[in-house]
Amino acid sequence: MAMLEIDDINKSFGGLQAITDLNLKVNEGEIVSVIGPNGAGKTTLFNLITGVYKPDVGDIRFEGNSITGLKPDQIVDRGIARTFQNLRLFTNLTVLENVLIPQHHKLKSTWFSAVFRTPGYLRREQQMREQALEKLSFFGPRLMSFRLYQPVYVLSYANRRRTEMARAMATGAKLLLLDEPSAGMNPKETAEITQIIKRMRDEGGYTILLVEHKMNLVSEISDRVVVLDYGQKIAEGDYQDVVNDPKVIEAYLGKKAEGDEAQNDQLTEGDGRTS
Amino acid sequence: MLDTQKRHRNTILNFAAIGVLIVFLLIIDGIGSVKLEQAFALFAIWGIAAVSLNLINGTTGILSLGHHGFMLIGGYITALLILSSESRARIANSARSQMNEFTLGLSIKNWFEALGLNALATDDTLWLRFIVAIVIGGIISMIFGLIVGIPSLRLRGDYLAIVTFGFGEIIRLLASTRLFAPFTNGSLGFSGVPSEFGKSLWWTFGFLAITVFVMAKLKYSSYGRALQGIREDEIAAEAMGVNLAYHKVLAFAISAFFAGIAGGLWVSWLATARLDVFLFTLTFFFLVAVSVGGTGSVTGVLIGTALVVFVRQYGDPLEESYTLWQWLLAGGVLLLAAAVATLIYRNIRRLRPRLNASIYIVVGLGIIALLIGLFAASGGQLQSEYRAFGMRAIILSALLVIIMIFKPDGILGQAEFNWAWLFRERKDQPTDEERAQDAWLTGPELSKRLEAAETREASAETAGESSEAN
Ligand SMILES: Nc1ncnc2c1ncn2[C@@H]1O[C@H](COP(=O)(O)OP(=O)(O)OP(=O)(O)O)[C@@H](O)[C@H]1O
Ligand SMILES: [Mg+2]
Repeated sequence: MAMLEIDDINKSFGGLQAITDLNLKVNEGEIVSVIGPNGAGKTTLFNLITGVYKPDVGDIRFEGNSITGLKPDQIVDRGIARTFQNLRLFTNLTVLENVLIPQHHKLKSTWFSAVFRTPGYLRREQQMREQALEKLSFFGPRLMSFRLYQPVYVLSYANRRRTEMARAMATGAKLLLLDEPSAGMNPKETAEITQIIKRMRDEGGYTILLVEHKMNLVSEISDRVVVLDYGQKIAEGDYQDVVNDPKVIEAYLGKKAEGDEAQNDQLTEGDGRTS
Repeated sequence: MLDTQKRHRNTILNFAAIGVLIVFLLIIDGIGSVKLEQAFALFAIWGIAAVSLNLINGTTGILSLGHHGFMLIGGYITALLILSSESRARIANSARSQMNEFTLGLSIKNWFEALGLNALATDDTLWLRFIVAIVIGGIISMIFGLIVGIPSLRLRGDYLAIVTFGFGEIIRLLASTRLFAPFTNGSLGFSGVPSEFGKSLWWTFGFLAITVFVMAKLKYSSYGRALQGIREDEIAAEAMGVNLAYHKVLAFAISAFFAGIAGGLWVSWLATARLDVFLFTLTFFFLVAVSVGGTGSVTGVLIGTALVVFVRQYGDPLEESYTLWQWLLAGGVLLLAAAVATLIYRNIRRLRPRLNASIYIVVGLGIIALLIGLFAASGGQLQSEYRAFGMRAIILSALLVIIMIFKPDGILGQAEFNWAWLFRERKDQPTDEERAQDAWLTGPELSKRLEAAETREASAETAGESSEAN
């Protein structure tokens, strides 16, 4: 049984069919990349898995149990967490607080014992802190020491991306959905984040589903690549097989014929950009 | 200093501060000025209300305008439960009374007597009955808080603000309907509510201390962080596992509990419970306190409350009648002061030109007003008297506008006064070592150049060594 099983989901926004009959399986310990042109429905897929939207039809199962129709916080409880393409950090709070909040849902203490700082609560608070530091240390020393106490709004863009990844890890989820983790990063930072994602799987034991436009990142870490176009899965498999698939080339080059030149670059070189 | 040492130091300083506060209150008590004591007691009572409103508005980021409704519930319940037998008899004998046998019998004193606890039903133990009454008031107010919290699950922003505002008004209207008039004595309300608690510095500051303690500890707990997460970004908070429904309702419930407590003290301070002491203006005062002091900051809100209470209690001279020339003088001085303040502001912000047309106009108007006021004072028209009703509210509104323009976060912003801040201990500033490491991490170009320089040095050294060896 796969960890995440998506069965024939559909999602439309008014007249726009954003996801059509999509099937997807993610096995434990895998790194699966979802690629596709802009507007292909990649983020919508993430929103469906994490409960931001409910699929019109179809079922999503996690570890064998259906999570369709659950609210986002319940899905986090089950063990799926995400990052956002456009960053949604708690901007006025510190880095440490940002990585503590995702652990709140596991807290058993009542608000009353939290206010009166019962020994049980203090122990949990200590554990949460250790967890937070452990997750932040994935990114080396740059988010540690004094940075812990800096509000997020002073961080650089790359550091915000890192904080968001640490925040998703801190939820205690087993499956992480990363929406363009390297967006806005320079080549050196991208190379580094590639290694970190690998380590997240190898050392952290996370299963990872990610959306990316930078093909060098995708080719380096993906066990499997899924290509979406107009909400449909048009290819799935090894990176090499997928990029040589005529349908995929058409999806990207077809766009080029329509005048969008950036798409072709993405396939070959993988120039970083956000949208 | 080590972290544990700092913690010990802070604990000691906290106790010292409480000691100073107690001494301060003793001095105020000792001065024996009723007006001063009342002002301080009011500060504490409104402080409780403003700090509790801050939990919803500041910490959780939901604009709620129904705080006076919660206070009304707590206030009326407290008043009803501790009203003296004489007051009850007076109401019972009054032809306009709207109360009935049952509601007149709602008294903690009666309950204690029925339980055979006669020792607790004497005049000496009124304080105990007051505590019981105010806690019951708080709890019932909290239940209403739960009810009002429910729309907050579906509505956001302005829509929710309107609902909470409507709720506050509905409570006031309900209180005067046939259904609830027996509990509230309709529009007559209660007079002769025991006032020794609301007017006592010790009772009011005691409750304020509890409120501030709970709110501060809550803010810096996991729950407080979750609430702040909701304020920062609801979608992100939910995606990080925060149950929005539970936490929003929790914020409303805790806030309403303390608003109920504030209501109980408020009726005691006034010695009456009437519908017109729970108008929306009350919530407006607290909103000003929260916005001016610092949305989200408990200490900031207390500063804001102090300002509001000061204007309310000592603003009487603002609303007395003055002759026109006096008004002109005051206006002239204010205009000149505004011009000076603008100049200072423009200087600090380095805005150019330093003097712009509007400053000239303001200064000109100010001087004209002063001149007319001073030299034409004997003129007939200028001797007539004018009175500015509502000047206090105008001053508070103007204060709010000024703060919103120059410091939209309020005086303290979201920051909290604490000892580390006083000692300029900033954990978010790097040490030199950390700064160097950080530069290496964030500036690869720079570090590459540094490395190159180092290797050059090193090779020069080895070259030197080899030449020496030769
Ligand atoms: N809430 C919404 N309401 C209406 N349309 C939506 C909504 N969310 C997404 N869409 C539409 O669904 C389609 C898929 O959008 P989605 O954000 O999933 O694309 P994407 O693959 O993530 O693209 P990108 O690479 O630019 O991030 C787009 O046409 C988008 O306009
Ligand atoms: Mg997207």
